[in-house]
Amino acid sequence: MRAEELKGHLDALLLATLEDGPRHGYAVMEALRVTTGGRLDLPTGTIYPALRRLETAGLITGSWSVVGGRRRRSYRLTEAGARALSGKRADWRDFAAIMTAALEGRPWPSPA
Amino acid sequence: MAEPSLITGYLAELSAQLPAPVVEELADGLDQTLRHYLGQGLDTTAAAEAAIAEFGQPKVILAAFTRASPARCAARRLLATGPIVAGCWAAELITGRAWRWPVPVEARILFGVTLITVTGLLAAAALGSHYRSVGRAGAAGCIGIVALDSAMLIAVPLAVPAVAWPLILAATASAVRIAITALTLRPVLTG
Repeated sequence: MRAEELKGHLDALLLATLEDGPRHGYAVMEALRVTTGGRLDLPTGTIYPALRRLETAGLITGSWSVVGGRRRRSYRLTEAGARALSGKRADWRDFAAIMTAALEGRPWPSPA
Repeated sequence: MAEPSLITGYLAELSAQLPAPVVEELADGLDQTLRHYLGQGLDTTAAAEAAIAEFGQPKVILAAFTRASPARCAARRLLATGPIVAGCWAAELITGRAWRWPVPVEARILFGVTLITVTGLLAAAALGSHYRSVGRAGAAGCIGIVALDSAMLIAVPLAVPAVAWPLILAATASAVRIAITALTLRPVLTG
């Protein structure tokens, strides 16, 4: 999957990787690689600005540590980030269900 | 482990535009990517090339940082909401017959020139492609907007003969914009 196809979904993917606990940038990319089976064709370096943007928005928070003599920045999900992730998951389920129904020619299930 | 020259050059290119803490974070990620390829048995040069290919070329990284820049986001927000605040003040100036107010011509010209300059700075921040320029233009534009709003909040009540609802509306709009801009100024200034 190419980077342009990810537009609008990258934030949700990044938030999801932080759901289990704090991760630094490289670990976030590794987690994405594992969960997607390596099918995301995304330059690793481009997730760092996305992480910074999420931090500015208050959805994640970053902190520095020193590992092997090099400074490392790790991120964790904030309460607002957890709520945003929950909302994005619900939106994605709706979107995927609508697209699947439309593309496969099935009628959208009417609410009970 | 000595850093391969390819990596040093790559980081130098990023350092020319990005703040030092951002480059430190990228350097850590790139170092781990390099170690991953070294662990797969590649020699130093091949591992550095593979790490850079995976990480993305500097122009790709810089473009991504510029798109996500707090200065760019703030500038776009101010440009989008600017006409609303300007409309509020226009209503006050027209209903209050501002052309009859005892305001020196020099002050009117200074305000107009500042307004045009600030709008230009915000447009440069909203559309620019150079991270550092976007940051500087955005920060200057944000400070300029706060200065313009403050000037209006101080000068108009002094010049206006009577307080009416357009002034209250415009002053509220400016005060809200000052508060929001002040809140966003720290990430804009720190990049």
